[in-house]
Amino acid sequence: MLFQTTQAHEELRAKIRAFAEEEIKPIAFMLDQQNEFPDEAIRKLGEMGLMGIPFPKEYGGAGLDALSYAIAVEELARVDGGAGVILSAHVSLGSWPIFAYGTEEQKQKYLVPLAKGEKIGAFGLTEPSAGSDAGGTETTAVLKGDHYVLNGGKIFITNAPKADTYVVFAVTTPDIGTRGISAFIVEKGWKGFYFGDHYDKMGIRSSSTAELIFDNVEVPKENLLGKEGDGFKIAMSTLDGGRIGIAAQALGIAQGAYDAAVAYSKERIQFGKPIGFQQAISFKIADMATKLRCARFLVYSAAELKEAHAPYGMESAMAKMYASDIALEVTNDALQIHGGAGFMKGMEVERAYRDAKITTIYEGTNEIQRVVIASHILGKAPKSAGGSSSRPKKPAPITGVRKKVILRDGSPAEQVAALVEHLKKDGHDFTVGIPMDTPIAQAERVVSAGKGIGEKENMKLIEDLAKAAGAAVGSSRPVAETLKYVPLNRYVGMSGQKFTGNLYIACGISGAVQHLKGIKDASTIVAINTNAGAPIFKNCDYGIVGDVNEILPLLTAALDTGEKQPAPPMVKMKRPRPPKPEPIGPRYVCGGCGYEYIPELGDPDADIAPGTLFEKLPEDWVCPECAESKSSFIEA
Amino acid sequence: MYCVRTVTKDLYWVGANDHRLTLFENIHPIPKGVSYNAYLLLDKKSVLFDTVDWSACRQLLENIEHLLGGKPLDYLVINHMEPDHGASIEEILLRYPEVQIISTEKAFLLMRQFGFHTDGHECIEVKEGDTFSFGDHSVTFVAAPMVHWPEAMVTFDTTNGVLFSADAFGSFIALDGKLFADEVDFDRDWIDEARRYLTNIVGKYGPHIQLLLGKAAGILDQIKYICPLHGPVWRKDLGYFIDKYDKWSRYEPEVNGVMIVYASMYGNTEAAAQALAAKLCERGITDVAVYDVSNTHVSYLIAESFKYSHIVLASVTYNLGIYPVMKNYLEDMKALNLQDRTFAIIENGSWACKSGDLMQTFIDEELKNMTVLNERLSLASSLQADKAAELDKLADALAESLAEAAHT
Repeated sequence: MLFQTTQAHEELRAKIRAFAEEEIKPIAFMLDQQNEFPDEAIRKLGEMGLMGIPFPKEYGGAGLDALSYAIAVEELARVDGGAGVILSAHVSLGSWPIFAYGTEEQKQKYLVPLAKGEKIGAFGLTEPSAGSDAGGTETTAVLKGDHYVLNGGKIFITNAPKADTYVVFAVTTPDIGTRGISAFIVEKGWKGFYFGDHYDKMGIRSSSTAELIFDNVEVPKENLLGKEGDGFKIAMSTLDGGRIGIAAQALGIAQGAYDAAVAYSKERIQFGKPIGFQQAISFKIADMATKLRCARFLVYSAAELKEAHAPYGMESAMAKMYASDIALEVTNDALQIHGGAGFMKGMEVERAYRDAKITTIYEGTNEIQRVVIASHILGKAPKSAGGSSSRPKKPAPITGVRKKVILRDGSPAEQVAALVEHLKKDGHDFTVGIPMDTPIAQAERVVSAGKGIGEKENMKLIEDLAKAAGAAVGSSRPVAETLKYVPLNRYVGMSGQKFTGNLYIACGISGAVQHLKGIKDASTIVAINTNAGAPIFKNCDYGIVGDVNEILPLLTAALDTGEKQPAPPMVKMKRPRPPKPEPIGPRYVCGGCGYEYIPELGDPDADIAPGTLFEKLPEDWVCPECAESKSSFIEA
Repeated sequence: MYCVRTVTKDLYWVGANDHRLTLFENIHPIPKGVSYNAYLLLDKKSVLFDTVDWSACRQLLENIEHLLGGKPLDYLVINHMEPDHGASIEEILLRYPEVQIISTEKAFLLMRQFGFHTDGHECIEVKEGDTFSFGDHSVTFVAAPMVHWPEAMVTFDTTNGVLFSADAFGSFIALDGKLFADEVDFDRDWIDEARRYLTNIVGKYGPHIQLLLGKAAGILDQIKYICPLHGPVWRKDLGYFIDKYDKWSRYEPEVNGVMIVYASMYGNTEAAAQALAAKLCERGITDVAVYDVSNTHVSYLIAESFKYSHIVLASVTYNLGIYPVMKNYLEDMKALNLQDRTFAIIENGSWACKSGDLMQTFIDEELKNMTVLNERLSLASSLQADKAAELDKLADALAESLAEAAHT
């Protein structure tokens, strides 16, 4: 056994290297500087049949092996780390799950154009609360007839917004952790599917990375990938393979930096000879080459295992972890060898140094890779009392279900305009109003001041806004009690007045618990505060992060319709009741004692995991209370 | 002196009434007493269906002796082993040494556990669907697990259509001479106690009652008499009572109305509860019942909770918790499996008002499929004029929810 690639592999490498050197290398610096996606080069890669290397020809792929794919990523990354990840995310993350879990129809519709390179693919798993721990996924998909309604968002999504097809993960069964996650194929351009800004990244700047926003996106039922609840399994097996792509990318980046360093060490002459022949530098090069060889064997071996359908989860984790760890070391040494020149923009090693960093982070941080490797060796850790966050227990906002739309786009004036637009759409009529001194408990609308209002003269801003909004004036407890800006009977909160009307505009109020409890029945809560982290923003329907001195006059002007008509008797706008999680399956009652089997809880004493449906219980399972058999249970 | 009544040809009620027992199962008050029903069939063979509580044993013995007229007792069918029916088994065995016992495997196990010495008697173990002939009369045994003990069965006499229904279709209240439901004004005088009996004793096992009702549905046209172990025998309008059982066991309210239960230390929370009741009646909602949780035995509260569609809980905060008696009521609702109700909450607290949140959490997390209206009334010590608007909103919300419930 020679641990060598085949001639075919090396021919493919030569072909891709030639392409990368000719098509990408000349523009790599420009792409990096301008944060620009190499549309043209990617299109050509598709034409060359390289966007679907590991997929069968019948699905538009090249029908080559996983190692060929790893070589392709490596060679692209060798000249540009960003180009490497475009291919890796497209193949491993955007296309592979459809190949592995898709129906024939899904493969024909989505995989074929992806493999042919006519379309670009991406993968949406990461969320603000769900990175390494997918159990924290908050994006939801609710089945409504023949489609799912997708809501939520994803962050740091590679190839977005360039990609046409997104494999997106969302919770279909809440409160049971990772087993409640499902995968969907979502197309760019569908109603309610938006992109956030293209991130300004440290490295791999030629790859596009953006936020995905789902606002009531209707996903046809047939775009469910696999079965409901399969999402976590699909995500994990996709990432198992994806690691080979990232490992290959890290290897390529390191190889590129190494090649540049070796060349430079032969050219740069100090003390009368090329620095490469100074022992300090030669040892560095020896170390770098050794690390590269190690990494390459790990990567290629993992790819071969995958191709042979042998278990490769641990090996791909080792490859990803090691290749990316040494990519940092190798690019660091390569830059060091370049000396001051390497520190300059435009130098390949400077870019490689920045590009390398992400490879220890994404598609599973190297810390998570170690968790994966260790779990393959040691098995599952004993259950800890604290439990994993795969059973999310997030406290609901005190004010209940809120829209939490934070208006960030555009200038403050545009934000205010957007707010007024929302309020009018919700049915608030600003041609009518109530007297400013209406008791809080009877007020339909209240404009309320918190400590963030500042000096007492700023209460004028509150009064002006109250007048323009046809609202009464309220305050937080300190504003009445300590600052004494308003009488004590005007402070809103648990211990003070409860506001149960339709519109509450909280100005400079941070949102202490006792205050929030006093407004939890408000139909609409608007928050205006300089501190984006203030609790009020988690408890509001609409929010503007900004200074009251700037926002309030704008809002006053926007709402001012001159003299208000007296408001008709208030019609309370309905507040939604917090949705209850749907049961994951029926409960069953024992005919021997009345014990109730609850699938959400399982039967821990018999090692039946929470979430196990009654029909999935082993046949020899017996009632934990009276030992009656499964057959004596009836559906509750 | 014997005290028997004829149910139908060859079949006699040989049970007894009890007015001395204060607490049924030593927990539920029975101010109007209770009956322990046993039935004697005089066919070619003589058959006693169940026995009575130990306190009524002598009456049972006198009744049997009178009817048998010196003949031996041939069979003892035990449908339900709970001691208020099973405690006299051993005495019967001692007096009639040749009697053969017919019951389920689990019932025989329980007899041994309770120490009713069945050894030396022939024990005939029967299971679902088994039949037995006593001469002219043939019976079929039907398992009734968890109605409300696991060993329970019911026995159906296919000859005369008598269903010996064990604890199913029973009721509190002593018979006092009357035997048949059509001899009393059941819907006026008995239904509340029948409901209190069912919901408190068997309420938890709705699915199993449904299972039994399902089995009965198949032979409904053949059932002529329902002979329960407590309360009157049904021979007319069986559908009336079966329908009630169907509702209770599906946890479906009988009345679209409001039950207000208050926990009040000094009358302030009570005042709020009364104010709400008045506001509801002003809105035309007169199906309103108000209870003081401290002075009403929880079995009555449970029965009323099964009856009404909407429940308002008004509670003070006590040691930063729910008032203990109110907490006990909530726990009982959980134990008895009450579900599908709409709740509203009135909370009171003089410094740290916690009862509302705690009750809401209990309802949301411990009870099944309950709805809690958003409109909660919070009191600081007492209901003052400034809360009038909130009180109205609560009444409006209840009215609206009742109207919605009426439409569905």
